[in-house]
Amino acid sequence: MRRRALLGAALLAAPALAQAAPQVVVIGGGFGGAAAARALHRLGVAVTLVERDATYLACPFSNAVIAGLREMEAQRFGYDGLRREGVAVVHQAARTVEDRRVVLADGGALPFDRLVMAPGIALHPDAIPGLDTEAMPHAWRAGPQTLLLRRQLEAMEDGGLVVLSVPANPYRCPPGPYERASLIAHYLKTRKPRSKLILLDAKDAFSKQRLFEEAWAALYPDLLEWVPLSSGGKVVEVDAAARVVRTEFGEHQAAVANIIPPQSAGRIAQAAGLTDRSGWCPVDPVSFESRQRPGIHLIGDAIIAGAMPKSAFAAHAQARVCAEAVAALLRGEAPAPPKLINTCYSLVEPGYGISIAGVYQPKDGLLADVPGAGGVSPLGAPAKVRAAEAGYAEDWFRTVTADAFG
Amino acid sequence: MRICVALSVMVALPAVAAPPPGASSCAGCHGGGGMPVLAGQPAEAIAGAMLAYKAGQGSPTVMDRIARGFTEAEIRAIAAWVAVSR
Amino acid sequence: MARVLINLPRTARRGEVIEIRTLIQHVMETGYRPRADGSVAPRDIITHFACLYNNEEVFAAELAPAIAANPFLSFSLVAAESGILAFTWTGDNGFEQTETRSLTVT
Ligand SMILES: Cc1cc2nc3c(=O)[nH]c(=O)nc-3n(C[C@H](O)[C@H](O)[C@H](O)COP(=O)(O)OP(=O)(O)OC[C@H]3O[C@@H](n4cnc5c(N)ncnc54)[C@H](O)[C@@H]3O)c2cc1C
Repeated sequence: MRRRALLGAALLAAPALAQAAPQVVVIGGGFGGAAAARALHRLGVAVTLVERDATYLACPFSNAVIAGLREMEAQRFGYDGLRREGVAVVHQAARTVEDRRVVLADGGALPFDRLVMAPGIALHPDAIPGLDTEAMPHAWRAGPQTLLLRRQLEAMEDGGLVVLSVPANPYRCPPGPYERASLIAHYLKTRKPRSKLILLDAKDAFSKQRLFEEAWAALYPDLLEWVPLSSGGKVVEVDAAARVVRTEFGEHQAAVANIIPPQSAGRIAQAAGLTDRSGWCPVDPVSFESRQRPGIHLIGDAIIAGAMPKSAFAAHAQARVCAEAVAALLRGEAPAPPKLINTCYSLVEPGYGISIAGVYQPKDGLLADVPGAGGVSPLGAPAKVRAAEAGYAEDWFRTVTADAFG
Repeated sequence: MRICVALSVMVALPAVAAPPPGASSCAGCHGGGGMPVLAGQPAEAIAGAMLAYKAGQGSPTVMDRIARGFTEAEIRAIAAWVAVSR
Repeated sequence: MARVLINLPRTARRGEVIEIRTLIQHVMETGYRPRADGSVAPRDIITHFACLYNNEEVFAAELAPAIAANPFLSFSLVAAESGILAFTWTGDNGFEQTETRSLTVT
């Protein structure tokens, strides 16, 4: 016993780090990062979570905030739950990732044996000439932008035109713009019934399309118009001050314009050399380790996840799998190939929910759909099924936020 | 000596049974926010429900679409794991 | 008739370079895609596009099976004189469609 301990100590004198418990740093305290930090902590790993903001504002259900159906405070989550459990939380922006250490905005540094990054997205309003997000909000990150769009809708006179523009794939939350269009249409129908909403789309097809179209035909027939790419839906330029939105083939004079710009992985991912030419991060689908920098794992919206969408549900599922993989690698074991689930609910009016689900597994270096599984809610389903799914959406939100934030 | 080196790099973490493929995703919904809590339920009952959904029985809204993504053996392994974990 | 979208200014100054955008709604079936029953969907694409400016060809393009559905073409030309722009798409199965727009040059 004694001999062995001594031997160990002598050996370890050189690489000073080796004997210490392995340090894992997580950058980003959203659905992915917060869930990963908690899961790692539960697996006995010493974790430090680096999150820029003191509290987190969740995007799911933020479309209901825009439509005046919910208050922003219901979207807010703190990090006390993580701290209470023993996760170290540092409220700093991570600036760069050097070899085995994260450099913070205040100049401090956190060493790590493995790093998990869930920085979410960067938005690129500069890709649309003329765009000023204070005049034409994106509201694609919950926060002041969400409330700005809500106030603009509230201030709009009845009879105004609301223009909502959707980018090409990939972007955060594929069905999100269509849920937003639905809930804004609901607001207009109940509060400003002479108004109209035009949904300008840079695509010809979208998530849960037939379900949304079925609901729109029933609920908002003369109010909501979807203009796909092939009908001239792609926005090429705006005049923010004059509230004019120009497409490849025409222009619209908006009273309120919500322009959702193209996106890429969060800035720190690019600064750390983790993105490829697409602007997103390629990862191994078993360990979620970067294909560009070993020792760094990525989850959530920032990654190229193959068939898996950029959703909070997916970020959370990836966080759990990634935490297991990181713990296995720290034990010197190879992580086992996972399966992951996604389910996304959308509301088309209060009490009317629809869903899409999928099961994914690693295939050819990406996450692929498990054949035969997944799909969307049935068309033509009775109101009680729609009401049940609206309820499940809320159940999911309560559960997943409790699992991520405690 | 070689053993010591190996030990020192791979610092012991508590050995916990890793979730079988798919099991860790369940926590997104089944954790006490309104949908059925699985922890503490008999594994046999959880597996039975999943297998029925997979076979097209019952009237779930999404669990049929999810259950079809797993083999019977995977479903039994998931049920055994979620029944005892939180 | 396929739906066509054309965007060009109604007026332009003499010598000005104007941008023209066109889009035609068309499946652009490649001829390689297997259908559910195992047979291959026959090719059905637009093969040629041309723009005539007062009867003189100012732009043309050959289209191939790899081009996505609803081909979008954008090109520019110098506004030389007032007149008619004629846009013609031709393709498989005798497809042919022409649209015209007038341009006033000042
Ligand atoms: C309108 C809308 C509706 C949506 N609805 C749904 C829904 O119903 N269901 C669903 O599943 N998903 C939904 N989503 C998608 C969901 O919000 C995202 O997929 C999810 O937030 C992704 O989680 P993440 O952890 O990858 O990133 P984020 O949640 O964006 O978290 C990233 C975190 O990292 C922090 N961060 C970034 N860079 C740094 C840095 N350098 N240093 C420190 N901290 C940093 C940020 O402050 C942030 O807290 C919706 C999205 C929108 C916009």
